[in-house]
Amino acid sequence: MKYNPYIALLLFLGISLLLYYIFRPNRGLYFLLKKSYRLNNKVAIEDILKLLYHNQTNNNSLTANDITNNLNFSHSLIIDSIKKMMDSDLISLEGDTIKLTNSGNEYSLRIIRAHRLWEKYLSEKTGFHNREWHERAEKKEHELSVEDTNKLSALLGNPKFDPHGDPIPTRTGKMALKQGTPLSNLGVGFVGRIIHIEDKPEIIYKQILAENIHINSIVRVIENNTTRIVFHSEGEKFVLAPIVAGNITISVLEKKKIDEENVTRLISLKENETATIIGLSKESRGENRRRLLDLGFVKGASIQIDLLNPLGDPKAFLIKGTSIAIRKNQASKILIKKN
Amino acid sequence: MKKSSNSVCDTCAHFNPDGLKKLGIKTSDFDFVVALAGNPNTGKSTVFNALTGLRQHTGNWPGKTVTRAEGAFEYNQQKFKLIDLPGTYSLLSTSEDEEVARNFILFGKPTVTVIVVDASRLERNLNLVLQILEITNKAVLCLNLIDEAERNNIQINTRILAKDLGIPIVPTNARLQKGIPELIQTISELANNKIKCKPRRIKNIPKDIEKAVQELSSALEQEYPAITNSRWIAFRLLEGDTQIIESLESGEILA
Amino acid sequence: MSKKNIDNIIALAKDLRWQIGDDYHDSLIESIYADAAEIVNDTVTKDKEKSKFRLDAKIDKIVTSRIWGFPIMLLVLGVVLWLTIIGANYPSSLLAELLLDSIHPVLKNLGTSIGFPWWLNGFLFDGVYLAVAWVIAVMLPPMAIFFPLFTLLEDFGYLPRVAFNMDALFKKSGAHGKQALTMSMGFGCNAAGVVATRIIDSPRERLIAIITNNFSLCNGRWPTQILLATIFIGAVVPKSYSSFASLSAVIGIAVLGIFFMFFFSWALSKTVLKGEVSTFNLELPPYRPPVFWKTIYTSLIDRTLIVLWRAIVFAAPAGAVIWLISNIYIGNESIAAWTVYSLDGFGFLLGLNGVILLAYIVAIPANEIVIPTILMLTVMVRGISGGEGVGVMFELDSVTGTADILRAGGWTLLTAVNVMLFSLLHNPCSTTIYTIYKETNSMKWTVVASILPVIAGFIVTFLVAQVWRILV
Repeated sequence: MKYNPYIALLLFLGISLLLYYIFRPNRGLYFLLKKSYRLNNKVAIEDILKLLYHNQTNNNSLTANDITNNLNFSHSLIIDSIKKMMDSDLISLEGDTIKLTNSGNEYSLRIIRAHRLWEKYLSEKTGFHNREWHERAEKKEHELSVEDTNKLSALLGNPKFDPHGDPIPTRTGKMALKQGTPLSNLGVGFVGRIIHIEDKPEIIYKQILAENIHINSIVRVIENNTTRIVFHSEGEKFVLAPIVAGNITISVLEKKKIDEENVTRLISLKENETATIIGLSKESRGENRRRLLDLGFVKGASIQIDLLNPLGDPKAFLIKGTSIAIRKNQASKILIKKN
Repeated sequence: MKKSSNSVCDTCAHFNPDGLKKLGIKTSDFDFVVALAGNPNTGKSTVFNALTGLRQHTGNWPGKTVTRAEGAFEYNQQKFKLIDLPGTYSLLSTSEDEEVARNFILFGKPTVTVIVVDASRLERNLNLVLQILEITNKAVLCLNLIDEAERNNIQINTRILAKDLGIPIVPTNARLQKGIPELIQTISELANNKIKCKPRRIKNIPKDIEKAVQELSSALEQEYPAITNSRWIAFRLLEGDTQIIESLESGEILA
Repeated sequence: MSKKNIDNIIALAKDLRWQIGDDYHDSLIESIYADAAEIVNDTVTKDKEKSKFRLDAKIDKIVTSRIWGFPIMLLVLGVVLWLTIIGANYPSSLLAELLLDSIHPVLKNLGTSIGFPWWLNGFLFDGVYLAVAWVIAVMLPPMAIFFPLFTLLEDFGYLPRVAFNMDALFKKSGAHGKQALTMSMGFGCNAAGVVATRIIDSPRERLIAIITNNFSLCNGRWPTQILLATIFIGAVVPKSYSSFASLSAVIGIAVLGIFFMFFFSWALSKTVLKGEVSTFNLELPPYRPPVFWKTIYTSLIDRTLIVLWRAIVFAAPAGAVIWLISNIYIGNESIAAWTVYSLDGFGFLLGLNGVILLAYIVAIPANEIVIPTILMLTVMVRGISGGEGVGVMFELDSVTGTADILRAGGWTLLTAVNVMLFSLLHNPCSTTIYTIYKETNSMKWTVVASILPVIAGFIVTFLVAQVWRILV
């Protein structure tokens, strides 16, 4: 073939396009193939178990059709899986509705344990963004054996709750109870602590994350009507739609216990102001949290701004005699009380 | 217990300048191992260079030394091998540097640990000091950059500090070799058991944790009567440090 | 000691750990700091009125100000590079004169007089010796100027402020502000830049800094850029603008390198390095007057030793290989010639040629010998008169002489532009590769760091070549 720059360019373009279609993140051919390889009976069975478990705790009953509508599997795979589950005594039929048996219940708790432990692991030991935890755990839960899960649990210090505030079932299937009210049901003037942020559906979860609402922070409701809920938390004002607020669970606090009224986030500190650190938000995790503690960002330390940045971020703070620069997203997770 | 002056003291009675030989990197056949620990950017490498006569590069940058450097000096016919550990803010976390420093102090069993601190930032530096004092019994605090502290009008009462921490204190300005003779003398006295330390243990621990620590450390002491840092091992066990668990299982912690 | 008792202790620890809960670590650190505060209360008195932090604060206000922060940084970097390039000229040519023009013939004569056969003489002095000499002549002077200057800035305490100012830019590409420093170190020497990444204490950001350090145009490559820009770019514009045009071209290449550094940092942090742990904090130490002469001396000795070691360990074998492939014949052509012919097709596709590609392959150990190797191979393979003999690297004193050889070897403006691009975008030299392996302790990341820039180089030169041929 004779050389021609146009042909060379076209060829290059062709090859790049091909590679793009094969390897583009998540939707590339390579990933689709990998995914379909993964989608075997085991995954389907375990996902059906989880679906049944969650619905059963909410007293919903499900039929085979409901399952097909709720899960992203082909109808035939689901029917096939249900058959296999009947054979191994994981589920039983009552008329049209499908119920978990005792062993089915146990199995689903095991999967939930693996899922929540993996989310905890991702939050503590890796740098994945919190948007990605759920999706990664959805894959990983099918790969962890019981032994892996127990090892993981030991490594993490046998945590009781996952990073969203959901209880992690113990080895024997026990779970800490979560008691609380959805934020949308909280009346004006009520004060409480966020104990859980629901990670499903994803669209709403991502919206909550984008608002920078942190688990374990104290909220006070200012306004609550059918169009919006306004509340104060950590010195910031948040406005949410009721449907979004419904996915945040609050444990209501007695008025007496609340001594954190003036608490704000370190980002709100201005030049020439001094403040005392109240503590780190639970949202600051893992290696990052430890490093901040080591550097002296501990309860009771006095802090002020040392240097502003020409580009706005990071800011340098004077803490325990040293100027230390941290970024905005870290400063938003340090709680202070201005003097 | 305390070294008083912070002047250059080559002629003082207790320091014997003729007995000093800086051996650079010739680290074979030593009598004692000395570990050099401290926060980043406290002039630890400068102290190391002043003691050994080496010229390891030092910079005004936190965290210059990452791998550990070795050197040696001879004083009164005894050879001291010096290990410059990576500078860390703490020994309780999981970064690579901290592991190197922590493991050396715990398993390397240095005869003496020199803790270099920045005199003008004592409070922040004490975080590491108090942790090290939980691990080892023989340590000396090198109060470095004392000139900078003086320039900033910071006065430190070394007598009370020595009493509070239970270890000898030597103020230095390593860049100008100030206080280095006293430091060498103190290291030598510690190594030869002429000074007794009574290191401070961490107080102020919340009751429930203190109770757990005590329960665990007395169980450890019962099992290993010779152990001197059972509290530290208890701290680490409560943290779930797998390395400590393994070393307990293999018995390395006592070796 | 019974195994059972130990197991009991470990079980007890697990139990207690569950009981005291998640806040253990926080509480422990808090109590240590509470202790520290007590001790400090007892022992430290501070006269706040007379605090002498004032000068520091004043300097800080200026070097991190909205208006002056960035101009000061650019000025400082510009001055350092300018001093390096200009200042290195004279000692470099002096060294070249001494090592290449004076000692080399003496050594060869000596070899002949003590009865070395021609091949041993050639192998030792034309191959090994010349490569070593070249690396020393090209690399030593700029290193000896660049690094002491950099060290002085470092000791003074200015560099952490640079990281502080630049961090927002690096954060956008998923990197650490301190990468600004390792990148600048890379302008001196990539291997030194890679070692310098130790200051980045977050593993993920450190890997990014290591992998992308090669996009900083190092001292070994500046001379190539300057020579080619002078010959080819300077010739396109009217004479009065020629030095300005060639200077802009070189700076343009360096800036392009910075652009690629940001791009690949971003791409890496979005893909393969996504889940790695990432932390950020930057201590801004007080300013300290550097101990001037000691710093100069220490850093001079350090760098000189690195260059010498590098010249001997890496460049010497390269010199040997160059001499051997030019002197071992298969049929009636040397290995070098065969390789050049077989690489010519691919080279043409990239707007380069076989000689250039072969030169870059044998010059993996040391970029400094690329131009001498290209000249030698061009003369040998294309049958042009001139040069020093088969397998003998050379450089010409006159720029026009070099230009004539290159043009006779088929070089056009496109070739020059693409060599400049390829000199920026190709695998790191073997010292750097070795350093990357030592620092990361991982074959995988070493391979990624070595291959990534070559692929970028192939793609960029290919695209430029095709578009050039269509448009021009």
